[in-house]
Amino acid sequence: MRSSSLRYIGKGIPVHDARLKVTGRKLYTADLKVPRMLYAKMLFSTVAHGKIIKIDTSKAEALPGVKAVATYKNSSSSPYNSAQRFYDHKLLENEYIFSDTVRFVGDRVAAVAAVDMRTAEKAISLIEVEYEILPAVFEPEEALNENACEIHEGGNKVAEIKQACGDLKRGFEEADFIFEDRYSMPAIHHGAIELHVAIADYDTAGKLTIISPNQNTFAFRTILSKIFHLPFNKVRIIRPAIGGAFGGKLETVIEPVVAQLSIMTGRPVKMEFTRSETITSTRTRHGAVIYLKTGLMKDGTIIAQDFKVLTNTGAYATSALNVVGAMSHKIFKIYKTPNLRYTGIPVYTNTPIAGAMRGYGSPQAFYAQQVQLHKIAQKLNMDMVDIQLKNLVEPDSLELLHGNPIGNPRPIDCVNKGVEDFGWLQNRLTGKSHSSDRFRRGVGMAVGLHGSTLIGAHRDFTCLTLKMNEDGTAILSSGTHDMGNGSIRVQTMIIGEILGIDPDSISCNEADTDTVPYNLGDYGSRGTFVSGNAAYKVAEAVKEKVLKEASILLQEDVEKLGIEDGFVFSSGSKNKRVPIKDVVIHAHRESQREIIASETYSSKGNPISYGAHFAEVEVDTITGYTRVLNYTAVHDVGRAINPLGLEGQVEGAIQMGIGYALNEGLILDEKGRIINNSFKKYKMQRAPEMPEIKVSFIEEREDPGPFGAKSIGECSTVASAPAVINALSNALGGIDITDFPVRPEQILEIISSEKG
Amino acid sequence: MSDIGDITDTLDIHLNINKEDYTLTIGKKWTLLYVLREILDLTGTKAGCKTGDCGSCMVLIDGEAIESCIFLAKNAVGKQIITIEGIADGINLHPIQDAFVEAGAVQCGFCTPGMVISSKALLDKNPAPSRSEIAKALERNLCRCTGYIKIIDAVELASRKLKG
Repeated sequence: MRSSSLRYIGKGIPVHDARLKVTGRKLYTADLKVPRMLYAKMLFSTVAHGKIIKIDTSKAEALPGVKAVATYKNSSSSPYNSAQRFYDHKLLENEYIFSDTVRFVGDRVAAVAAVDMRTAEKAISLIEVEYEILPAVFEPEEALNENACEIHEGGNKVAEIKQACGDLKRGFEEADFIFEDRYSMPAIHHGAIELHVAIADYDTAGKLTIISPNQNTFAFRTILSKIFHLPFNKVRIIRPAIGGAFGGKLETVIEPVVAQLSIMTGRPVKMEFTRSETITSTRTRHGAVIYLKTGLMKDGTIIAQDFKVLTNTGAYATSALNVVGAMSHKIFKIYKTPNLRYTGIPVYTNTPIAGAMRGYGSPQAFYAQQVQLHKIAQKLNMDMVDIQLKNLVEPDSLELLHGNPIGNPRPIDCVNKGVEDFGWLQNRLTGKSHSSDRFRRGVGMAVGLHGSTLIGAHRDFTCLTLKMNEDGTAILSSGTHDMGNGSIRVQTMIIGEILGIDPDSISCNEADTDTVPYNLGDYGSRGTFVSGNAAYKVAEAVKEKVLKEASILLQEDVEKLGIEDGFVFSSGSKNKRVPIKDVVIHAHRESQREIIASETYSSKGNPISYGAHFAEVEVDTITGYTRVLNYTAVHDVGRAINPLGLEGQVEGAIQMGIGYALNEGLILDEKGRIINNSFKKYKMQRAPEMPEIKVSFIEEREDPGPFGAKSIGECSTVASAPAVINALSNALGGIDITDFPVRPEQILEIISSEKG
Repeated sequence: MSDIGDITDTLDIHLNINKEDYTLTIGKKWTLLYVLREILDLTGTKAGCKTGDCGSCMVLIDGEAIESCIFLAKNAVGKQIITIEGIADGINLHPIQDAFVEAGAVQCGFCTPGMVISSKALLDKNPAPSRSEIAKALERNLCRCTGYIKIIDAVELASRKLKG
């Protein structure tokens, strides 16, 4: 299909449920009440590592209105991994609903279901727990010491993953310059504005229904079936609207607990976390320590690079292996570096559980790499952009690790366009002159990437069902968990384009394991490429059925028929033209059949999306406050299906990236308690702190993406933090920054050390 | 911490919400948010922190955008309360809401009701705000999806719509 003939693809269209959201009519899990519903509250560990030697729930149980108190003594003892993705997904299982050992401050100890919230809260305060305190360890490097306390049997090193290409030793021997640095970055909070919440209803027919804002209904069905030994037809997972997720709702957290309480009481049970509980006891982005050694030739060619990444996976396995595994593929896809080695080691510590978060390993790895490259450019007296252009992968080249075709990567186009849009040369040269005694300005840039499917890790497919109504409108059944990122809109735009009908005339049943076809889940930025391709395929299947029916109605060869603007027309005869609705009515009346199709798209590859970000910052040397003034982001998306949605993804990602650079990060005290466990203390960027942002796209088609499109969701955040850090370094006279984030306190220290 | 407090210590009050009068028996420590969401089923007002730090529970109290999660219900007596449910005219969106849809200011939608309320409070006082004035007026509202850019665009658009 030629782009000039496209009616919907490339137009900016709001998310499908925007009208409901602006009026407060969209229902989120917290808004729902079920008849006879009980309210639940959790008791969390107050110690970082301990064995429960006594737990007395008698006073809580005796409180009028309390219907159940669940602890390790009376709950399911099936081990599980909350990050399990499908039935035969083999992962290390060391989580339980409750256990007699607690492994971080905020670990689950007990839960109460009561007739109202007040009673549940009071009952929680009546549970008496005595711990045998065990030694605790909070940093991954310390946790790997021989004498460190063992958090799980077998030690704190979860695994070691290695990937390599070329001859690393020779590469470093040949290098003219070698740089070695250690970078550290903290765990961060997803910061979705919706709190974690779930409702469970175990009924007298033995069916467990879970309502929760989650990104992976079919995986949750697998996990809950395993924990409670229930057949799949007796577990139903329903996902109402999601109030932001960013990976934080990809793993089961509250769901097994409310299910346990519902099974114990035979009544529906709802639990909503507070913000402090959501920060502490759900998931975080992995904190990491990265050792990075890079060898370059005099002309700036990177000849060898060695990554050693320790991720802090927190107290349980969950995503430990998946995140370092994902990282191990991505770093091979940015530069043409012939000799490259990666070692990834996830480590248990007595800290909150790390899991999936937007970028899934990319933000950490590229943070270190891009910040080091900025330092290298300065030392070699080269422009960072020139080093990028010399090393970035080119279209149609082969991937280094396995020698597979790499598709149509366009990072070079992104950098070139960004240089122009941002005014890199002018800014770079004049940045200093804008500085005054008090305010110092600087510019920086970085490149990042992310995949578009799960291929490389495991299978990836989506099935969709589409049926035509008698008036020419349609109903889609989709297992996509739209989080506000607009993936349902992308599907309706693609279907609308192919069927020649308005995307708003397609309604959608969303993510519910009993009513929609199987979907792998929404992670890995797979929405556009995989589910978008499924939309393409199911629309083509329905189109074929419409045309077949129309050929009977119009008495015309099916090969001569096409669809345009809601009509079926014949290329042979102008008179042979009918609205689609007449075709559907004909199917019902004459052929007596429904026009419906289910189609599965399974991805064979994993096209990579790239982005180049450019930032200008201004540092106030008196307050230490850094303000990002101007920002340019250019992304290689193959094809912009919905530019409005794409821009929104990138702008939101930049908010996260600026926070990751300048403020965000969980701070633990010496006992392992999170100090900044509220939105007052955990500072995310607010509206006045955002810069002017220019966003644009490189649209050079990534086949076989739908209309040539590939991912944006995670890629959009990867380059952001390092671009800001590099600008900050530039503003402060080119200093080395190795520990993130750089808060005002650190900046004041840097400035005072200059003077000292 | 409970957002309802001791339920035995009660009070009979009248509240005016979205131009309707309600007679209620409330706990003295009940927040306005609790009354709206849990008693009156006005669930359009959201809760993202219950500590007054995110703005998703904003309502208009005598025209001011106020965090209802830290505002006691008993202190709302005698005041005009407008929630997100009171902004649209039946099924017809207010121009601010239209602008939010059109500008792509809505992603997950959880902060949206609070954003619309803060925007209404601003535009009622300052019909043609600059971008920095808009940003300042939205400072108490957190959003994690949009980077605020399209929300600020939407308020600019709403300002034009309301003038036109």
